[in-house]
Amino acid sequence: MVATQLPVNAPLVVETDQGGLMRFGVGLFSLQCTAMQPAHWAGAYRDMREHAVLMEELGYDELWLSEHHFFYDGYCPALLPAAASVLSVTERLRVGTGMLLLPMQDPIRLAAVAGDLASRSGGRLDLGVGMGYRDIEFDGHGISRKQRLPRMVKGLEVLEAAEAAGGPPIWMGAQLFDPVRRAGERGHPILFSAALPFERCKTLAKVWEEGWVGAGRQLADKPALGALRNIWLTEDPKEREAARDWVRASYVQYAGLGWTLPAVGEHEQADFAEETDKAIADTVETTITGSAEECIHQLREFEAIGIEHIAFRLMLDGEPRAALESQLRRLAEEVMPSLRPKMAA
Amino acid sequence: MRLGLVLAEGREAELARLAEAHGLFGVLAGLGNPLTAVSAAVYASTATEFVRIAVRVRLGLEHPITLAEELSILDNVNNGRTVVIADTGELDAEAAADEVAVLREALASRPIEHEGARWKVPAGLPANVTAPNSISVTPKPAQLEVPFWVMGPQAAEAGRVAGLQILARTPSDVSDPKLLQPGVTAIKGELAIDRAHVTAWASASVTHLFVELPMQAETGKVMALVSRYLAPEVGMPHFPRVMSDSRVPLPWPGERRD
Repeated sequence: MVATQLPVNAPLVVETDQGGLMRFGVGLFSLQCTAMQPAHWAGAYRDMREHAVLMEELGYDELWLSEHHFFYDGYCPALLPAAASVLSVTERLRVGTGMLLLPMQDPIRLAAVAGDLASRSGGRLDLGVGMGYRDIEFDGHGISRKQRLPRMVKGLEVLEAAEAAGGPPIWMGAQLFDPVRRAGERGHPILFSAALPFERCKTLAKVWEEGWVGAGRQLADKPALGALRNIWLTEDPKEREAARDWVRASYVQYAGLGWTLPAVGEHEQADFAEETDKAIADTVETTITGSAEECIHQLREFEAIGIEHIAFRLMLDGEPRAALESQLRRLAEEVMPSLRPKMAA
Repeated sequence: MRLGLVLAEGREAELARLAEAHGLFGVLAGLGNPLTAVSAAVYASTATEFVRIAVRVRLGLEHPITLAEELSILDNVNNGRTVVIADTGELDAEAAADEVAVLREALASRPIEHEGARWKVPAGLPANVTAPNSISVTPKPAQLEVPFWVMGPQAAEAGRVAGLQILARTPSDVSDPKLLQPGVTAIKGELAIDRAHVTAWASASVTHLFVELPMQAETGKVMALVSRYLAPEVGMPHFPRVMSDSRVPLPWPGERRD
């Protein structure tokens, strides 16, 4: 089957000279049921479908999923079945994998499954891919970690051929100069981690552009990049304090996974495995909080550096469902309209 | 015997919803393209609430841990309604049985540490220096134990080694009339022919039979034939046909449609 592909940057409404160009999503849906926020896994998958329907009603553009393996909390290990469950109950919302760990899968099978899903959903799948870093995840799938780069490159070649034939658009996850530049050279947009401070996103966006232009393309033709952002719209200091603590708690899970954000340029390493408290505290400081005007101001800075897909990182450990849904509504009603294309009269 | 429905490719949600509305026990996804079977089963799952979701899983195309992870997500999406039908594909019986063993161990509630004819899990590769000697696939399925059946060229031998029932293709495939016995067959949408056909399956002690609708059939009409005549007639011995042959009760509001 050939996918009927909605271009990843297709305008959702007729653009005028009012407003901005931004697209908004929510993530990361990792389907974790943690020690601090226990739940039934089947309930987590049901909740995700319900939140996807609500997001669609509220005008969100994208939902982003995340992958890890063999972790106690059920961190989602298979993103395409999870994506299928969301795509099957929505009609307009795009679903992205942010990121699917490509070296751990057979790329030919993956391309076939993703192509089928894109076709079933009217072209609403974005296929974000990353390399992975945990030894246990490679070993559990019978793959030597030494093979992850050649497997990544081979996998990308297969997926790129599928994309050229009408398959889902490829996104990449990277946070170091060389992989970001290579993503630009290959022409794939990046979804930057929420743990990256704005200045580092700005630096990496430039590096990505160098790769894009270096491959002989025009800067004006580049696709919009994306970034996850920790954000909480509130004027209430107590709610702000709670939201920042939910951000803290969710990064504690990454500490458990042994995640580390390596040093790049002027940015020091954020070592979640060894210097847990400091790395988490630094990441909490990336959180955008405040009034709608303050949130809009900070998001416009991302738009100015070509990062026009913003995925609000709202799926936080310890966060009550009512707080999440309230935040989804407030951001949709008070922030998104100022930053999106306005409907022509 | 209970009847289920084979889902045609690309129409899984629509047909699964119809099967549930007609009271069938389950649906079977992925009989066409094995690569897209899990996605098809997910679409059938979110369209329904009660029916069992049987999914064909072709072995030998991906690492069994990856398959197990996909199946576990499926089982959580449908809240414990998954049935796995392992297709031996191009594997020999020994390799197929080993792959089924990994799948079942991965979906059970113990850590997995497996060394068999085809797979070692975890692999224990030298470069993966911090990897432990056992892993646990998570999330676990929603149900206590995922039912496994087997089909394909090596089904009989792989099923014997693994202790699993095969998906019967003919009534003569039934091995033990005391065990649960699934089967799959095509129907024609003609009452007399289909009645004789499914009755033969019931007489052979098949317990769960998936029926495939004829390609050009008017779906609603054939499904009415299945749920009004075939399912009741094989659902009890000596079914009194006076009930199926009687007039359909009047609808209200609305017009009679039969």
